[in-house]
Amino acid sequence: MTDYWANKAIFDLQGPDGKDLWTNRRAEFLANYPVSDELRQAFMEDDIETLLPVVNPYLMRFFLLMLGYDDARSISVLAALQTEEERKRVHG
Amino acid sequence: MAKLVGSFAASHAPNIARSWDSLKDDTRDWLTTRYEEMGRRLKALEPDVLVIHSNDHWINFFLENMPAFLIGIGDEHDGPPEPFMKPIFDGKAMPGHPGLGRHLLEYAMGADFDPAYSHRIKIDHGIGIPLWRMGFDPLPPVVPVFINLVEKPFPTPKRCLAWGHMIRDAIEAYPEDLRVAVLGTGGLSHSIGETTMGWIDEPFDRACIDLFRNAPDTKIAAELDRMLAVTGNGGAELRSWSIAHAAAGSQGFELIDYTPMPETLIGCGLAEWKIAA
Repeated sequence: MTDYWANKAIFDLQGPDGKDLWTNRRAEFLANYPVSDELRQAFMEDDIETLLPVVNPYLMRFFLLMLGYDDARSISVLAALQTEEERKRVHG
Repeated sequence: MAKLVGSFAASHAPNIARSWDSLKDDTRDWLTTRYEEMGRRLKALEPDVLVIHSNDHWINFFLENMPAFLIGIGDEHDGPPEPFMKPIFDGKAMPGHPGLGRHLLEYAMGADFDPAYSHRIKIDHGIGIPLWRMGFDPLPPVVPVFINLVEKPFPTPKRCLAWGHMIRDAIEAYPEDLRVAVLGTGGLSHSIGETTMGWIDEPFDRACIDLFRNAPDTKIAAELDRMLAVTGNGGAELRSWSIAHAAAGSQGFELIDYTPMPETLIGCGLAEWKIAA
């Protein structure tokens, strides 16, 4: 289920000062977004597993890049959350 | 009257621009030669206007308003704002064609489509990358058409095929003598920001290519419905290819080339539809 405010926070981080806001003023930045306590904690801890079901995939892609993950790391982090069915689909 | 002189489709993976300098030589050579070939074919048709279908990637739209279809009707469009695209377009605006853009909008409304429209839209990598790699100089005016393919629900493949046919009719009903080419960008398979990220579904890609070669619209719509449910999320962009296909009269498909391209995370393909005289 799409969480409007979680996506809005990531969407807004696409601005030129996004990386600085996230790196140096994360709690202050997040205070502007009324996300649930669970999601706020997930943001603070880079908890991708909790964020993934509520964040648009294309915004998640941007978010991982902003965290400094290269493609291999992004793929690895996300692949660790695959279901058995997804693993079969990808690997046959 | 205006005339449709060509219809094309091409991939638009961000990594083509973001990672251009660090791509393997073979990959860069493949991209260079294939996009240049498409550019050669398109330029040879001497188009006065390009009608380019792509999807917005969270540049223009957010969850407050997600138009299924949007036509850019401005006399110019803002250049791509992504950090990896800015150096390529140097922040320059892109010429539009407000006459044709407005006509497409009004024709669509009259044909019972209900697109949104914009007098000032931002082009993003979806349109920018194919134009960059084809090497247009100068760039013909562009009428951008955005389809929502990033936040579900999306327009159905059936609806996109109908849109493509409508676009052809609309172009040919425009009273000015213009040579118009249609371009659909995106695809082929990829998986972005989801657990299967990095997956290139080559059987899906080859099945789509076969559909465009041989299948009637009804089968394309049904097969895309079925296959898109089980491939990576970026496969949704095949809708742009289906629009280019329908605009061409659902015939004349010719694959320029295709290859799975892990460095760019996509099944990379380019195609032309020959327009029957």
